[in-house]
Amino acid sequence: MGLVDAFDRLRRPFEGPNTIGNSRAFWVGFLVVLVGLVGYPIGFGSYAASSAALYLLYAMLALSLTVIWGYTGILSFGQVVFFGVAGYSFALISMNLESALTTMLALPVAVGIATLAALVLGYFMFYGEVRDVYVTILTLVVALVLNTFMAQTAGSEWTVGSVALGGFNGIPAIPSLTLGVGGAAITLDGATFYWFTLAVLVASYLGLRALVNGRFGYTMVATREDEDRTEMLGYDVRRVKLLVFALGGALAGLSGVLYATWGNYISPSVFGITFASIPVVWVAVGGRRSLLGAVVATVVIEWFRQQLSATGSQYALIVVGVVLLVAILFVPEGVVPRLDAAIRGARDRFGTSNDTPEGTPE
Amino acid sequence: MSGKRSGLSRRSFLATGGAIGGAALAGCLTGGGGSGGEETVTLGIIEDRSGNFALNGTPKYNASMLAIEELNEEGGILGNEIETFAPDPQSDNQRYQQLTRQAINEENVDALWAGYSSATRETIRPIIDQNEQLYFYTTQYEGGVCDSYTFCMGATARQQLGSVLPYMVENFGSDIYTIAADYNFGQLSADWVRVLADENDANVIGEEFIPLSVTDFGSTINNIQDADPDFVMALLVGANHTSFWNQRTSAGLDVPMGTSTVMAQGYQHKRLDPPAMANVYGGFNYMEEIPTDRNQEFVDRYYEKFPDAPYINEEAVNNYFSIKMYARAAEAVGSTNQADIIEELETGMDVSAPEGDISLQGPVHHMTHNMRVFRCDENHTITVEDEQLIPEQFLSETVGCNLRENEETTQYVPADYYEEADATQE
Amino acid sequence: MNALNLLFQFADNFAFVVLAAVGLAVIFGMMGVINLGHGEFIMIGAYGTTLSANAGAPLPVAMAIGVLVTAVMGFVLERTIIHRLYDRLFDSMVATWALGLLLTQGMRILFGNSIPQVSTPLGNIAYGEFSYSTYRVLLLPVALLVLGGLYVVFTRTEFGIRARATIQDPDTARALGVDTDRMYTATFVIGSALAGLTGALYAPTLTVVPGMGSSFLVEAFVAVVVGGPSVLLGTTLSGGLLGTIDAVFTNLFGTFYGQIAMLLTAIVVIRVLSDGLTGLVETVRNRVEGE
Repeated sequence: MGLVDAFDRLRRPFEGPNTIGNSRAFWVGFLVVLVGLVGYPIGFGSYAASSAALYLLYAMLALSLTVIWGYTGILSFGQVVFFGVAGYSFALISMNLESALTTMLALPVAVGIATLAALVLGYFMFYGEVRDVYVTILTLVVALVLNTFMAQTAGSEWTVGSVALGGFNGIPAIPSLTLGVGGAAITLDGATFYWFTLAVLVASYLGLRALVNGRFGYTMVATREDEDRTEMLGYDVRRVKLLVFALGGALAGLSGVLYATWGNYISPSVFGITFASIPVVWVAVGGRRSLLGAVVATVVIEWFRQQLSATGSQYALIVVGVVLLVAILFVPEGVVPRLDAAIRGARDRFGTSNDTPEGTPE
Repeated sequence: MSGKRSGLSRRSFLATGGAIGGAALAGCLTGGGGSGGEETVTLGIIEDRSGNFALNGTPKYNASMLAIEELNEEGGILGNEIETFAPDPQSDNQRYQQLTRQAINEENVDALWAGYSSATRETIRPIIDQNEQLYFYTTQYEGGVCDSYTFCMGATARQQLGSVLPYMVENFGSDIYTIAADYNFGQLSADWVRVLADENDANVIGEEFIPLSVTDFGSTINNIQDADPDFVMALLVGANHTSFWNQRTSAGLDVPMGTSTVMAQGYQHKRLDPPAMANVYGGFNYMEEIPTDRNQEFVDRYYEKFPDAPYINEEAVNNYFSIKMYARAAEAVGSTNQADIIEELETGMDVSAPEGDISLQGPVHHMTHNMRVFRCDENHTITVEDEQLIPEQFLSETVGCNLRENEETTQYVPADYYEEADATQE
Repeated sequence: MNALNLLFQFADNFAFVVLAAVGLAVIFGMMGVINLGHGEFIMIGAYGTTLSANAGAPLPVAMAIGVLVTAVMGFVLERTIIHRLYDRLFDSMVATWALGLLLTQGMRILFGNSIPQVSTPLGNIAYGEFSYSTYRVLLLPVALLVLGGLYVVFTRTEFGIRARATIQDPDTARALGVDTDRMYTATFVIGSALAGLTGALYAPTLTVVPGMGSSFLVEAFVAVVVGGPSVLLGTTLSGGLLGTIDAVFTNLFGTFYGQIAMLLTAIVVIRVLSDGLTGLVETVRNRVEGE
């Protein structure tokens, strides 16, 4: 009994009405899936793991949007701005200081730069009382400004230190992340990169779960539901939005660094309108109020799009469009929340469960 | 209440189940999939057939398929039938990354043809180099790639401009105004215009760089009129820039224009009503209208296989002859071992291509091309005004790239070697 | 910097911004639906026009066909998909994005990567050593006509008054007997027809390819947001401001700076004026009236 009690106490901070899966069964399932994910490279090889790692780092980008959109009501097309800023920063820093230690140094600095950018943009928007839809368009415009600007930095005068920005062609040969020093250094590649990304994703997911189920999480949701009321109750709504936006920027930035080191490449296309719209699609289909939904939807959608593209069929994009349309029309709250509701409904009908009721506040 | 909920959940299961089923089915439809072992030869052809570059990528795919079909009819390579892995990257660089890795790791392609734009090439070159994969990049481009595993089959900017610019100076005068797409290829080509102007006693009296997204050329046309050059070098790229030609004609701008980008790639002379492309002179290694018998036979074979195709563009033909060249190299070596084939190619090879008799410059992995100056008149009839074999010079003569002796994966730019090309020196 | 050049370039830019934005402004301003497939609606209008003209129809007829085709498509899409999304603003974005994807790829499958283009009619206006396409300059009065027409429809006709009532307060409008569903459909059809008109008007002077919609989308969104809540006033003022900025900066420094300046202006306006340019006009008007 002591073990089960410990398990229940352990999972308490991660549960609440703001997330799906608040039962022992969920966490057991979660652990099973996690073990499977960890074992994936062993079973399927390093190439398959590397492909999967891309989907996992995209899932981090989706999480960054879920936290600011689903939980705080800020729809931003500009997550890719922080994604790209961090990616470029990482490239410029790590390629200018050429030693094995520097990639581990460049990663937090790059994420820091992205967070700073988010703080600046967030301050500009939220302390300037820019509202809802205008925030959305403004973030999109910022992405497009960066796209236009970076695409023309092809000349040799656009060099930071010894690294050319590369314009439209981007920056190739970005070094992979290297953990450790000297003889014990591991360059993250293939399976090791996959495990690193998986660890970062799981840590982010759990961290966000704890956050949204805690006091600050309730403030975020209150801001989403009714800003004026929250303000009247004494919360500084602008500060809440700024902090959440900065957090979103940090997560997107982390995802960006992982992307740059996955493909050893970055280019202005990450600021383009297509890539800026994709996270919105992932999160909308997965369920914008669900962290789990964002992760699952991103992985499934990206895997699906890749498979279709590999067929070479001209109907690939048609299939993607139709599936998206169907998902958004008939499963508006998101696929994962719908599945969760269905599972709970089935459980309710087939007898009571032994678990504590979800989300009963203390 | 619960009954209603389960009813809705059934619908959602159908929706998501349908999606998953569709994905599984799509997975089964993944074509190609040769193991690349001793019994099959698998070639990777990753060309855009949808998205922004579909117009340029589709003919490349078509011509590749034609070449492979012709090879298979004659027994394939080393007695084995050629199989293909030919996905559609949808003009999306992230998709290119995944598909290139899939081609190398899962499909084990023996050689890879991929990408239209230079950005795509640079996206996948790290993957190519890491995996030491034999890669043919077949679009005409800015030049300068000295890479142990990459063979650039297209004409470089120096070759293209080197054929048309001297002709324009000779026939129209020495004041040049350059308008170029505002990204790497356009800016580097403009650098080459300055280098070649210097070599031909001409002057670039003005330069204008136009972002790829611009569709409105009113101010550009006014600027050209203000500068009053003897001729214009128009290095415009993409669908948006194609709007320039209609606009300049309706504005009555009739100064002659030289180009290395329009007509041979995007067949504007067939899409736009005459006289939109009147007085345009292009320096290319290939246009469908080349009046030789050999080319005419090739064109006939192409349209027999693809009767609905609108045009055969420059880069498509580069795919065609390079696939045949690869086949000959493999036969000469006796296997599909990529390192051996690269070594064989580095000894150079003469190629009989639809454009004429050309050759591979082994040490620099580039082609000497049969360049021609094509003129488009007011009825959109294409005539050949000048013709010469032009080798690749930048890497072989100026930079001194020699991949037979050194392993390298660099791209060189003219600004590092020519004072005239360095914009910061203005 | 030549004054006439600047004037014509401004006329060109103003018309482009207004015509790109007006269809989107009607749909967004009156129904709150963010149509991410707006560029593709314009593309359909351009395709309808070009294909009809290639089949032999005279240009004005071909344009009318382009508008009609887009309006019909708008009607069908509204009845099947859009009307389910009126209270779901964010979902309408994803749905219209998916629609845009389907339209682009669908046209590519049906008609290939390119179709023969229509040439620009009407020659040019020559002045000194310069000249400008007459057709492009004429798009300015056309844009003004479109705005004027919308004004008349929405303020002087019964339909317009009912439509505005529906937007302002759907419940009261319904209580007063207005068929709000029909109003929404009609408004969406008008917005689609306007997008089709833009495509039709620009078909002779831009490249008509399946992906052409994206070159309108940015300017359209920026203009709608900079303009603010009022469809007519906002779009006109946006066109004026953004058109001027683009023309001046392009004339002085080149097209790249014109684009960047326009985007940066949009950012500044969105930040400084919480209701866009419409809000600015309202504030000024209130202050003047208050005196």
